[in-house]
Amino acid sequence: MYKLFLCLRYLRRRVIAYFAVLAVALCVAMVLIVASVMDGFLRKMEQAAKGLYGDVVVQAASLGGLGQYDEFIAEAKRRVPGVEAASPFIGTFGILQVPRTEYRRNVQIVGIRLPERVDVTDFEKGLWAQAGRARPDFDPPVSLLLARLNEHINFTREIKRREQSRIDEGADVSSDDHLQMRRLDTALALQRRAMAALLGASRHQKEMAELSAKIKALRQKVGEKPDATLDALEDRLGELVKLTGYLSPRHRMILGLGIPALSFRTEQGETVRLIAPGHRVVLTLLPLGGIASPAEARTRTFTVVDDCRTDVASIDSEIVYMPLSTLQVLYGMGPDYAPDDPTKVVAPPRCTMIHIKVRDEFATSEGQLREVAREIRGVWADFHAAHPDAAGDNVDVQTWRQIQAKYIAPIEKQRTLVVLILGIISVVAVVLIFVIFYMIVMQKTRDIGVLKAVGASSFGVAGIFLGYGAAVGLVGSIIGTVGGFYFVRYINPIQDALDRWMGFRVWTRDVFLFEKIPNQVEANTAIWIVICAIVAGLAGALLPAIRAARMQPVEALRYE
Amino acid sequence: MSEPAIDVHALHKSYRMGKVNLHVLRGLSFSVQEGEFVAVVGASGSGKSTLLHVLGLLDKPDRGRLLLDGRDAAKLSAGRRNHMRCCEIGFVFQFYHLLPELNVLENALLPMKVDSSTIGWLSRRGRARRQAKEILERLGLGKRLKHRPRELSGGERQRVAIARALVNSPRLLLADEPTGNLDSKTGVQILDVLKQVHRETSRTIVMVTHDASLTKVAGRVLHLRDGKLQQK
Repeated sequence: MYKLFLCLRYLRRRVIAYFAVLAVALCVAMVLIVASVMDGFLRKMEQAAKGLYGDVVVQAASLGGLGQYDEFIAEAKRRVPGVEAASPFIGTFGILQVPRTEYRRNVQIVGIRLPERVDVTDFEKGLWAQAGRARPDFDPPVSLLLARLNEHINFTREIKRREQSRIDEGADVSSDDHLQMRRLDTALALQRRAMAALLGASRHQKEMAELSAKIKALRQKVGEKPDATLDALEDRLGELVKLTGYLSPRHRMILGLGIPALSFRTEQGETVRLIAPGHRVVLTLLPLGGIASPAEARTRTFTVVDDCRTDVASIDSEIVYMPLSTLQVLYGMGPDYAPDDPTKVVAPPRCTMIHIKVRDEFATSEGQLREVAREIRGVWADFHAAHPDAAGDNVDVQTWRQIQAKYIAPIEKQRTLVVLILGIISVVAVVLIFVIFYMIVMQKTRDIGVLKAVGASSFGVAGIFLGYGAAVGLVGSIIGTVGGFYFVRYINPIQDALDRWMGFRVWTRDVFLFEKIPNQVEANTAIWIVICAIVAGLAGALLPAIRAARMQPVEALRYE
Repeated sequence: MSEPAIDVHALHKSYRMGKVNLHVLRGLSFSVQEGEFVAVVGASGSGKSTLLHVLGLLDKPDRGRLLLDGRDAAKLSAGRRNHMRCCEIGFVFQFYHLLPELNVLENALLPMKVDSSTIGWLSRRGRARRQAKEILERLGLGKRLKHRPRELSGGERQRVAIARALVNSPRLLLADEPTGNLDSKTGVQILDVLKQVHRETSRTIVMVTHDASLTKVAGRVLHLRDGKLQQK
């Protein structure tokens, strides 16, 4: 009983122990903050990778891609219980241009099927105009786009008003501020232009939809034969498209929000769009997927209908999305028809990847995912044997982690290393506890003698100091965990404040890929750190405790 | 006739102090009967404290025999010695040796706490506190229960130490120069306390002192010189 009583009493009464507690708290907070931020970093990376690839990826090594993917997906769903959904995907590169400007930039072009893709990834979560739509597509209602754009114009005006009043006040106006004002003016002008295009589209939308339907019906009836009515309908549709600039759903595009110069960020972190839904962009790419190569570059115009942000800068600043079927044709992966009969498909359309969503119960660990990938590989082997002409031989099935290994593995290693290094630094705390406890034991020599004189055993005396050490570890780690938790929680405001006061910014978007510093603390990590801190407290107190236990009561009492 | 409370035979004890080997006790033999108040007088360095430490099981003799209530101290296990120090022997030191972090009541309760497990303590706490309070009140410390040792005078501190020595109702009370650090008036008061304790509870008390004038409270006086007893 006296052990507990005395170690609590010493903890409260000995001021010097507070320094040990402080050292433990600082070490715990340090490790917790770093581990949490790096964990968050990893998690974001993983989320982004899964957002882009799904859980398991079937990938063709050859540019020729793989065909009969729908049949394969059906087969995989039938034979592998873990497969929940799958969707074909094409990834390639091209050049993005904005008409009537000098703007030209290389981008990654991604062909996806909407809305099917949202079954495989969280694609819908990053969309702006179609935010909240469970099944987004390349043909969202024009009224929705109008509403969103209207909001955005007001938002931009508001920013402009704020900046203008700041400049009017005359408080430290720099050339940057004037640049910002010019950019806001440009943005507003461009947004109004997009608005005009959308308004035109909404006025003629009904007629355009009817024309498209009629053309489709007629085309099926007459086939490829020339037909005067069809020509007239197509001319009228072409006229309307030209008038409104609003292209058919096949020629629509979703931009990554972060492609430089298509949007910009204010100092306050607000995103202002220059190219918004309603604008047209031009894309040029080489049909590398074609059987006959090398071919001439192809250029098409697209209407922007949305933009998408994953919060991973390397994705958002690079990727544009378009309908899979459109990209198939442009990229040379479209269906091949027999020369004599244009309705007869001799080679099926192809894709470069199939992204697969694995049911949650089969995706609890990387090992499980690899098992699913292995099964799918088996299905592919059988499928390829049955359909030798369907696709190339060089097809690999990998988990998203394997695909992203070259990005994720270094960060994982880095995290382990940093936590290890901080752990080693935390040995300082152990040494500090040791020194402080040694001092306390020396100071308490007489008291230890008294305790033994009234019957305390050596173990009991050692127990007091071990308990004391563990208590220092526990209290220190609780303080450190709470402190670390709140630090991580408010790490972004803290960074902003640092930036404002001292102009010092650790986390920048261009270096760290992500918008914000991750601010989640994992309970598991925290618990481990607390356990380590208690063990550290015990370790630091061990030698002093043994010394105290070994003390002879007479020796301890003899001197005054 | 019952066993003597203390029976010492040919006791030797030496210890090293720096490079010198001090042969402090050189063949002591004596016995103390149950309920006796014995004073051991000797100059400083004559081995009084060492003798008391050996009697109180804080130290072991090099040679010779020590029987406490007929039990050979050399044959006791460490646990048994701890228990006897806790419950059968009370110790009063010259320098009080109170724990500065604890208040008066807590200091007095310390041997009881040492004697109990956490759960045992919970069931015993109320009774133990009452007992300790009663003893402290009897020693005139009833109003000082919550005070820290440093807030007390020397005489009060020594009375707390006596309360602590008595709290587990030991059969043997050992006092090592209990007045050595006090002015003579307070010293006399402390001696009165010891006398009172002896009268009321007829405990066996062994007190060592260098001041022969203090021995009149004792029933018997032993003189220690150069590690040997000199009967008078």
